[in-house]
Amino acid sequence: MPNMLYDLIIIGGGPAGITAGIYTARQRLKTLLITKDFGGQIAKKAVPIENYPGFKEISGLDLIQKFEKHLKKFETDIETDSVIKIEKINKNFIVTSENKKQFKARAVIIASGADPRPLKVPGEKEFIGKGVSYCVTCDAPFFSNKTVAVIGGGNAGFETAIALSRWAKKIYILEAGLEVKADLENQEMAKETGKVEIITNSVLKKIQGDKFVNSIIYEDRKTREEKELKVEGVFVEIGLQPSTAFAKDLVEFNKRGEIKVDFETFQTKTPGLFAAGDVNTGKFKQIITACSEGAKAALAAYEYLKKQNGN
Amino acid sequence: MIKVFSTPTCPYCHVLKQFLKENNIEFEDIDVSKDEKAREEMIKKSGQFGVPVIEIDGEIVIGFDKEKISELLNINE
Repeated sequence: MPNMLYDLIIIGGGPAGITAGIYTARQRLKTLLITKDFGGQIAKKAVPIENYPGFKEISGLDLIQKFEKHLKKFETDIETDSVIKIEKINKNFIVTSENKKQFKARAVIIASGADPRPLKVPGEKEFIGKGVSYCVTCDAPFFSNKTVAVIGGGNAGFETAIALSRWAKKIYILEAGLEVKADLENQEMAKETGKVEIITNSVLKKIQGDKFVNSIIYEDRKTREEKELKVEGVFVEIGLQPSTAFAKDLVEFNKRGEIKVDFETFQTKTPGLFAAGDVNTGKFKQIITACSEGAKAALAAYEYLKKQNGN
Repeated sequence: MIKVFSTPTCPYCHVLKQFLKENNIEFEDIDVSKDEKAREEMIKKSGQFGVPVIEIDGEIVIGFDKEKISELLNINE
């Protein structure tokens, strides 16, 4: 059992977690931030960010590095690790990490964000790093002059295709629905590359290859026919799933696994346990909304702790 | 000799390089988005189409595998 008692533990190093950390540091709360990396989803964003005030155009990685520097101005403890369990024992929370460390705090903010949702088709796991990628900003150069498929016709899928067009010679976008869901601006930009072909009403069935990916099989939902596409890369952009399993005994989830909160305080059903950013059921998943929720959760946690002290 | 195969826009590469710097480990940073030959070399050595890949005295580690890298470099935190 750890001896050190923190006022607050923040889980996650994306916009919500970092903002919460900045706020609690300024409230002089003894805070520990646990994260496996800084950046959350925005560090991996395929195209520059153009909707965060103060920055007309900035890459996700640059913006998050500024966030990280800002947080590190304060004396917040930072632990590079992943959380696997939270328990509440009496009035305190015990947080257990993957490296089997335990930390104790009087309140916790979960801001662990979301991970790419996997396709769950045969071949996906086997070919990770061998053609299957969830991070276009990491891996695009490896597909120089190759034909690739992007699975998912939303904004993330289109932005991935646009980023790939600098390298790949041909990009298919597979969308399961009848129509793509991306903004018109993204659709136009993809068209302008002259390299993107959109296949709607198509469901990916299988990824295959030898040492590396060499083709995919998809079902044409109209004709029920299975078709093969020769591609050397598969980029998965079918949305996100929240990273919340570690909290399952203390919170309520919706059917997507997102945490239910009170949207004024961001408190979960467990007093002293808050959830901000992509992890909760909030509809709009933006950088600025994640920051806003991180700030509100931090202030609500501060009020909660003050009440606990009896003032 | 330590080589890091990376791209400038890859967040995990950034985390890996920062980790090495914090532990005063010298390394050669190879930008595979600019250097096609290095890209081929990396694919051949690692069987991977993705970064980061780190080579520590001939041993290849894929991704930011902190535990494995710490072990190979004798880093105790």
